[in-house]
Amino acid sequence: MKAMREDLHVLTGSYALDAISDTEREEFERHLQHCPACEAEVRGMRETAARLALACAVTPPVRMEQQVLAATYRTRQLPPLPADRPRRAMPRLVPRVPRRLAMLAVAASVAAAVALGITQLTAQHQLDQARATAIARVVTASDAHVETARTSAGGSVTVVASVALREAVVSTSGMASLPSSRVYQVWVMSPSGARSAGLMHGSSLLASAVRPGDRIGITVEPADGTARPTTTPVAVLPV
Amino acid sequence: MRQLQSESPPPPDLAGLLGQVARGDHRAFELAYAELSGPVYGVVRQVLRDPAQSEEVAQEVLLEIWRTASRYDRARGSAAAWALTIAHRRAVDRVRSENACSRREQKAAEPEPAEDDVAETVAATLEHQRVRRCMDGLTGLQRESIKLAYYNGYSYPEVAKLLGVALGTVKTRIRDGLIRMRDCMEVTW
Repeated sequence: MKAMREDLHVLTGSYALDAISDTEREEFERHLQHCPACEAEVRGMRETAARLALACAVTPPVRMEQQVLAATYRTRQLPPLPADRPRRAMPRLVPRVPRRLAMLAVAASVAAAVALGITQLTAQHQLDQARATAIARVVTASDAHVETARTSAGGSVTVVASVALREAVVSTSGMASLPSSRVYQVWVMSPSGARSAGLMHGSSLLASAVRPGDRIGITVEPADGTARPTTTPVAVLPV
Repeated sequence: MRQLQSESPPPPDLAGLLGQVARGDHRAFELAYAELSGPVYGVVRQVLRDPAQSEEVAQEVLLEIWRTASRYDRARGSAAAWALTIAHRRAVDRVRSENACSRREQKAAEPEPAEDDVAETVAATLEHQRVRRCMDGLTGLQRESIKLAYYNGYSYPEVAKLLGVALGTVKTRIRDGLIRMRDCMEVTW
């Protein structure tokens, strides 16, 4: 009996990836009802599988949207499940995450913030198409390289750079907001000095003429920006 | 993804949108469509390969999301995972219901890069880079097992046969590999 249960438990992964037969699926789903640990594990794996799907997103043909939207007007929706069926209390497993992975988490979430930020800005027409294209070109370059660092002003900054294009996309997330008299200014720093890449008004900025060995720095400056950094950078990242 | 912090406006709350969709809100469905259609179509196409068939199945999936939105329970996982689970399952069902001989000969493929839409491409590419980086941290057998199962839609016995290893080995590798991927990508659930 014990052997069978262990055997079933090993199926969590195959179940989450829909890699089991219908018969096994039914058997496993019965098992799930009595195994909160398995259910929690499956949940984490479903979320992981969703990330595999997000990684291969492709914009569908435009006609699909009209067809689906039209179909919703002809399709009756299911009512909610009766509320008198209490959901089993499921202990939430606290994932044990090694500390060294913390930075990866930051990198991942910031990269997602870049992506979402660009999506939203594009959607809201706050970002002109040319600039969106320029940013997308860097982020999708075959030699795109991602660096992330925490800043001393809170939050983090991510730099996606392409040596081939000599451009870098600088994005910030969660940094302290500044009084209106101050602004975050981005610098391309080389041994010969620092050159302004612009003021950080949104959540991302494109720096051009970036060379290997340069570093990207962010400082707090007067609202109109300055010609040279006047304060200690809140973050410096290699390109 | 729901929890990320950004100075730009917060991303649409997909779980909240699905709640509105469940009450018959067509506008909310349009917003949910904008978020989900790319990943849904992408994963279906990854499994089915045939664009026409993929479009048909993706439409079914998106309509299913409209139809069953009331069954989504945010206590049981993210809205994206709920929707993409439906999508992958539908694609796999389609594959298994027909004997797709030609497809069986294909090797595990990399996810195809997104095409037209700039923002979609950016989002998918960043996610792709992370997935690839984490895939690199797996053993060869774990990686191949997960790719064949998820991206090609093979059952674990089929994966075992393709890789020439025992059934138990494949089950274990898929599970261990997914746990590693989950931790590497810092998936929260």
